[in-house]
Amino acid sequence: MELTADRITKQYKNKIAVDRMSFTLARGVTGLLGANGAGKTTLMRILCGILVPDSGTVTCDGMDVETEEYREILGYLPQEFGYYPEFSGRDFLLYMSAVKGLRKKEALKKTEELIELVRLKDAARKKVRTYSGGMKQRLGIAQALLNDPQILIMDEPTAGLDPQERIRFRNLIAAIGKDRIVLLSTHIVSDLEHIADRLMIMKEGGLLWQGEWNAAAGDLEEFYISKIGENK
Amino acid sequence: MNDEKLILRIREVCNSPQPAHKREFFQYLQEHKMINQRLPVMSHGEFLTGQLLYIGKWIWIFSGLLLLFITWICYRHPGNYPFALTPFLALGILLETRRSFRWRMAELEHAARFSLRSVMLARLFLAGTVNTAGLLIIILIIRPYFSYSLIRVFLYMMVPYLTASWSGSVYERMHRSDHGLGSILICVLSSALFAAAPAFFSQLYEERMTVIWAAAFILTACSLAGNLREWARHMEEPVWN
Repeated sequence: MELTADRITKQYKNKIAVDRMSFTLARGVTGLLGANGAGKTTLMRILCGILVPDSGTVTCDGMDVETEEYREILGYLPQEFGYYPEFSGRDFLLYMSAVKGLRKKEALKKTEELIELVRLKDAARKKVRTYSGGMKQRLGIAQALLNDPQILIMDEPTAGLDPQERIRFRNLIAAIGKDRIVLLSTHIVSDLEHIADRLMIMKEGGLLWQGEWNAAAGDLEEFYISKIGENK
Repeated sequence: MNDEKLILRIREVCNSPQPAHKREFFQYLQEHKMINQRLPVMSHGEFLTGQLLYIGKWIWIFSGLLLLFITWICYRHPGNYPFALTPFLALGILLETRRSFRWRMAELEHAARFSLRSVMLARLFLAGTVNTAGLLIIILIIRPYFSYSLIRVFLYMMVPYLTASWSGSVYERMHRSDHGLGSILICVLSSALFAAAPAFFSQLYEERMTVIWAAAFILTACSLAGNLREWARHMEEPVWN
């Protein structure tokens, strides 16, 4: 399975958010690095079929990203998300299961499994509005995994997680990424250092660098800073 | 050589080769169950009925109370004023369209299999159907309190409701605010317009005007359908741009 972006461009009035980007994502974890405002979120929204690019195409094994079939295999965690006020954590996951098209039996099973996985069992029946930032983020991670996605796109997934949760999350992503396409955006370099098989560095809407990443190759933070610096 | 001949000549020269081993390829996919391999998922019908649970309960309560109030008014003071109350029935549906955005669920819903478009259309359809069905039942109940024919009562009830639904949906499509003040204002204005109209145009509820009411009904119903179609087509773009 491959997710292919071909010369995609997106412009907002006088700002080019994504500028003629082309790449192919294969199985494994791909880290998307870039400063705030580099265009990471816009790129991720395009890859999820939420935003339509001004030019260029995104396909997954020839399947257009705007199709129901594509969304069926997609898991997405946006940078910010809300919840309906009456929802408990469990209700939220059951609602997302329904929107993702899971049958009730399957939805109940997956919800219980994921509540365990993200360690929200004690809080599952409490209203989401009583959750801490980290708990909400874990709930967001759980909803992204509900449909057992083949393509997992996560925008700043570690935001709000405490150090212990971040390590747990990194291990989870590394395990998921073995047989799925995982794209993870962050501006926290250490989140990617040990789990990313591949890296993409964005700056001002453009793809500054992309390639394989090996944890043994050196310090990722230094590498990232040097790449950003080279371009100045 | 003109263009047509040139195209034919190119086709002859650049004839694409026939696929090799096509039958074997499809047989392989068939044997390995690789054709149309999809997980069992919900049908569109199941999704639609499931969404019934997720429509805000206040909408059903508000609509129910409003319909009871209209019935009571018609029973106590039969006149033309109860007809001006039906725009408020559209209010719940209009505010429901903003729910995903207000609670920042739109992005999550958009990336899901059934998509934001399906979620919104399902809710509009369900809330609209239940409200319209309620209104039709009320029309049958209140009809004996009026000297008008059933078709006239139907038109007098439906036109203000559809006018508010149409103008409100145009507003919601073009300007989405956090508090839905615009939709509330549109419903109030529609109601005021139909309440005040007989004062300026005394023949409005006369039998000879029925054709005008029927034309207004068709016009507002078609405009509403057209606007909803346009809304569904361009749902994603204005949201994040």
